[in-house]
Amino acid sequence: MIHAPARLRVVATLATLAKGDEVAFPRLRKLLDMTAGNLSTHLRKLEDAGYVQVTKTHEGRVPATYLALTDRGRAAFAEYQTALTNLLKGAGHD
Amino acid sequence: MDDDQGTSSGGSFDPADSLRVIREQTDRARDATEPDGRVLFGAWGVAWLVGYLAMWTAARETGLPTAWAGWVLAGCIVGATALTIVHSTTRTAGLRGASSRTGAMYGWTWFLGFMAYGTVLGAMGDAGASLEVQATAANGFACIVVGLMYIAGGLLFRETRMYAVGAWMLVTAAVAAFAGMPHTYLVMALAGGGGFLAMVVVEQVVRVRRRSLASPGLPAPGGAARD
Repeated sequence: MIHAPARLRVVATLATLAKGDEVAFPRLRKLLDMTAGNLSTHLRKLEDAGYVQVTKTHEGRVPATYLALTDRGRAAFAEYQTALTNLLKGAGHD
Repeated sequence: MDDDQGTSSGGSFDPADSLRVIREQTDRARDATEPDGRVLFGAWGVAWLVGYLAMWTAARETGLPTAWAGWVLAGCIVGATALTIVHSTTRTAGLRGASSRTGAMYGWTWFLGFMAYGTVLGAMGDAGASLEVQATAANGFACIVVGLMYIAGGLLFRETRMYAVGAWMLVTAAVAAFAGMPHTYLVMALAGGGGFLAMVVVEQVVRVRRRSLASPGLPAPGGAARD
């Protein structure tokens, strides 16, 4: 799920937030330099997988969307990084 | 570009490439959302150095700092405060949650601390404290508030370097208080301002070392972890 580079970048960005913190959609889009449509597609897939929590709210009268990594997403990202590091170490010993 | 659509998992999979993508994006996100210590320490270092050197220069000539020196110091402090607020709010724009609440309360504590500082100094003047006593207290108390706030920041944000600056400011408070007029201002400029400026160098060294350690193939495990 997080293997595709674009989604990997989304998850890596959300993982820099401390637990309990969220980022607004436009700010996340700027951090990733992605189009809104592209980012929405990736976020939907990550949300479906249970990796990303999407909170829709209102700031005054303006609708706002906040994103955060779920515990499951954080764990999956950590496991993925460990797996990559191990693969690389294995390749180095050959 | 194909991969950026997330529809393809790419032809050949390279773990080093994936780790590089993670590292680059992690660095980019952190650089954009975390306040830059070099900017903040630099602003305060220059403010203290220029402001207190002005106070010292004026006090050397007349025994007590003159109004123009007071305005220079006030201008420096206001400038550094404005820069700190603008820089921090720009970096953390669009973020909310526990860290934002903590950061806001921390910011307000600075304000409350210096409101109390001004009030106590005013009361000392009303109670008949001499200008020399008031000047000694003004410098010492400023260093104590700054020192304790940096120590609190170090504990809150788990930033050892912030804690170290706080401890250094408490030492500066003691030295400045015993230096006497007008040397107390020189201590504030050199030890206080100099302390902040030394941290700009430390921040830069830490940054360069972190970058060189994170060369491809040598990823820091758990890239999400902070310092």
